[in-house]
Amino acid sequence: MHVDQFEWSKPKGWSARGTADNADLVLYFGSREGLACGARYRELREMFPSAHILGCSTGGQIRNHDITDDEVVAAALKFAATPLRLACEQVKVPESSRACGEAIGRALHAPDLAGVFVLSDGLNVNGSELVAGIAGVVGSNVPLTGGLAGDGAKFEETVVGANCAPRSRTVAAVGFYGNAVRIGHGSAGGWDEFGPRRHITKSRGNVLLELDGKPALDLYERYLGEEDIKGLPGTALLFPLRIRDPERPDHDIVRTVLSVDREARSMTFAGDMPQGWVGQLMRGNFDRLSAGAGNAAQQACAKLGPHGENAGIAVLVSCIGRRLLMGQHVADEIEAAGAEIGTDVPRLGFYSYGEISPHSASGVCELHNQTMTVTTIAEAVGGIV
Amino acid sequence: MNKLFARQLEKAKGSTGEVDLDALGRLVSAEYEQTTVDRRRTDRSISLMIEELDELNRELEGVVKERTGQLRQREQEFHAALENMSQGLIMFDASARIVVCNERYMQMYALSPETAQPGQTLHDLLDHRLANGTFTGDADQYTEQLRAGIARDDTSRLITELGDGRTISVVNRRMANGGWVATHEDITERRDAEKKIAHMARHDVVTDLPNRVLLRERLTEALASVRRGSRLAVLYLDLDRFKAVNDTLGHPVGDELLRMVAQRLRGCVRQVDTIARVGGDEFAIIQADIEGPQCASQLACRIRDAIRAPYEIDGHTAIVDTSIGISLSPNDSVQPDTLIKNADMALYRAKAEGRGTYRFFEPEMDARMHARRKLELALRGALANREFEVHYQPIVNLADNTIASCEALMRWIHPDLGMIPPSEFIPLAEEIGLIVQLGEWIIRQACNDAMQWPEHIRIAVNLSPIQVMSTNLMPVVVNALAASGLSPGRLELEITEAVLMQNTEATIATLHRLRNLGVHITMDDFGTGYSSLSYLRSFPFEKIKIDRSFVKGMDSGEESEAIVRAVAGLAQNLHMTTTAEGVETERQMEQVRTLGCTEMQGFLFSPPVRAPDVERLFAQERKSRTGAA
Repeated sequence: MHVDQFEWSKPKGWSARGTADNADLVLYFGSREGLACGARYRELREMFPSAHILGCSTGGQIRNHDITDDEVVAAALKFAATPLRLACEQVKVPESSRACGEAIGRALHAPDLAGVFVLSDGLNVNGSELVAGIAGVVGSNVPLTGGLAGDGAKFEETVVGANCAPRSRTVAAVGFYGNAVRIGHGSAGGWDEFGPRRHITKSRGNVLLELDGKPALDLYERYLGEEDIKGLPGTALLFPLRIRDPERPDHDIVRTVLSVDREARSMTFAGDMPQGWVGQLMRGNFDRLSAGAGNAAQQACAKLGPHGENAGIAVLVSCIGRRLLMGQHVADEIEAAGAEIGTDVPRLGFYSYGEISPHSASGVCELHNQTMTVTTIAEAVGGIV
Repeated sequence: MNKLFARQLEKAKGSTGEVDLDALGRLVSAEYEQTTVDRRRTDRSISLMIEELDELNRELEGVVKERTGQLRQREQEFHAALENMSQGLIMFDASARIVVCNERYMQMYALSPETAQPGQTLHDLLDHRLANGTFTGDADQYTEQLRAGIARDDTSRLITELGDGRTISVVNRRMANGGWVATHEDITERRDAEKKIAHMARHDVVTDLPNRVLLRERLTEALASVRRGSRLAVLYLDLDRFKAVNDTLGHPVGDELLRMVAQRLRGCVRQVDTIARVGGDEFAIIQADIEGPQCASQLACRIRDAIRAPYEIDGHTAIVDTSIGISLSPNDSVQPDTLIKNADMALYRAKAEGRGTYRFFEPEMDARMHARRKLELALRGALANREFEVHYQPIVNLADNTIASCEALMRWIHPDLGMIPPSEFIPLAEEIGLIVQLGEWIIRQACNDAMQWPEHIRIAVNLSPIQVMSTNLMPVVVNALAASGLSPGRLELEITEAVLMQNTEATIATLHRLRNLGVHITMDDFGTGYSSLSYLRSFPFEKIKIDRSFVKGMDSGEESEAIVRAVAGLAQNLHMTTTAEGVETERQMEQVRTLGCTEMQGFLFSPPVRAPDVERLFAQERKSRTGAA
């Protein structure tokens, strides 16, 4: 397997790239403004006529130890013995998220499917339903990773493109086949719970209406203060909500806000907010968030085998909420992950509106928020051409 | 160098490698800004959290206070419920130590609160009870058995008898924590009541003798030994004239009489025999293990003699007699019901053949009973089948030898059996309640027939005591008169002394009503019953009929003649007519005329004849009178 990393910047255009002209897969991430015009896709298509080209808008791009908002980062992947298949669907309304996931699942499903990497619209999709739809078809034993596209801290529009110019309301996924490919994954948060536990007393799907019988938005606004209220929904990411089923207290999930309805005093989250579950606000400590990122990378690498034997790539998908909170310190988490993965392994990624990865405790594929997820893609040594 | 600053420095370097101070300043300043904002947020969130937790704490304190109040209330309610239970309650934990014990429990077993306080063991408690005599037995063994019982079943029940005579029902129920709760109930009264009820179910209330239920059980048991070769007798008896005692002296005296009879019967039998009261004045005796029938007849004689002796009750002297029927096992039957039925049949026979005697069951009694039942069936159909006829016997005025009236007499001509005498079917009709219907029929028939007769001739109809007591006698008489058009003055109703012996006040009232209607009332068969003169005073009869036995007796003795004379004289003084019944000879006719009787009835003049024949007699009389004139 061979990986070439390169990037695009306004003053310089595309940087020099390696020898992988005949790449099988190109991953690229950039700001919504940088991608929506379609020029970047067309340039990539020219460079890699036969590759599957998959990319999305983000809340910041990751390239090795750098985080950038202006550049478009890309990686061209050439596999020795791993067939690929690309699937793409449009989501008209969030309620059809599961059906969309099922359609993607059906398009990719095969006995030798070894892993799925998915990129989804970040604002018009119920991520939990999407993941459930895909996993329901391909089976829970197939690792499913990826993330929801971002739009900086603006939460206006996200785009995803698969072999075409990126568009809104799109979900796309690439399937890896055969027994040569090795997919590793890890996911961790590092957030600290604080304040009392609260009960989700009223919700509808991923719309949270009440906590402990009071409007959910009231609680958030009280904690954010007047300054930060103006920054909603982005500022709500400063206080993620960890929720858990009281029947399975060890299985908890962190949810992040996608939008708020000031009239209805409700908040829409990236995934389901089941009524009857228990929620608790969370607060980040920079050191522990960075340690969480390192932990995610460690989990992903543990599945890769002896370090150095497998030249591959690590795809980092971290939550926009972490970046908003950590500010310039966010580089610490990229460094912490890089230290675990190894600086010789190319790292590419983005800040997202939601991360997709198997749960570190239960192994069930889920939508996460406020986490760092790391997906490592490699091929077995014997598979190198 | 600080890692972040190093990174900022790196970022601030231009393409030449020199640090752009403005750019560095912006990065550092932004970080300061961010840090300030972040600290503000942190402060804010921490103080809010404290506020929220404080609020929550207050809420919780409120809840705890409220719950504590509720708990205290529940505890008071629980305590009130516990102390107001009629049962004793004691609860133990898994190590058999008292958790709670109510006042009632302590009272039941005379325990002080210290001895039954929480924490004490069951064993300690039993030691105290052993000392005060409310527990007997081995405390270790009891504890062990109790715990084993609870381990085996959720609930164990036992009934214990205390030394002082109390009966206690104990229910132990296992609890989820391994302990158990025991409820103790003093069921002494309930037990006694149950025993009493069980006794009452099988004994007669008045005499405390076994009733029919227990009799049957005892007989079944006794018959088991008959199958092993022994013999027994069943004596069935009833009291003659008991009803008269009951009616005249009242039920309390009647009941006392029954108790005395029971006592005398007890004196006649052995311990192994059973005496039962099986009906109003009916008793049955199982004479067990007898050598032969003579044992039964000896017992019957002893009983008869014992019963016959006068009874002194509340200043009254009562005399009753008894008739006894006897059946033997295995000879007559080995079935309890058959034996009782056979003894009853023998009793019926004994009564029929003159009271105050005993009879053994004989198979033909059964046959006779069947015959009687057959007759009963025939009788029930006879009225509808028009098998009855009315015959009339003239009553002659002794002054001029002319017919004054005719007595209507019922005749039953059965298509197969022929003429059945009234002495057979009238008692049967009375017994089965058909007499009222028959009586109604004969009154109507007689009234109708009399309408064909010369106007001076009256019609006399006999009334049975049952008819007189029945409430519809008045309407029957009124309807018969109305339907026939007969003048009430032509109707005579004959009653016997037996009518006056029963239910006197109501009877007299009925007779007065009939008389007010214009109907004549005659005292029939005078001299055969008690012949009490008070009967004659109780109601102004217009006529006395002197029983045929006195007329017949005149031939053989002076006593009858004296009686006839006395009665005739009495009647004359009371302005009553006297009819001598059963006059068969010219001599008798002359005698009764001489003795002062005003009328006679008998074969001398005419036997009872059919309606056309009696009308012929009227015609003859008219003719002879015309001829004489």
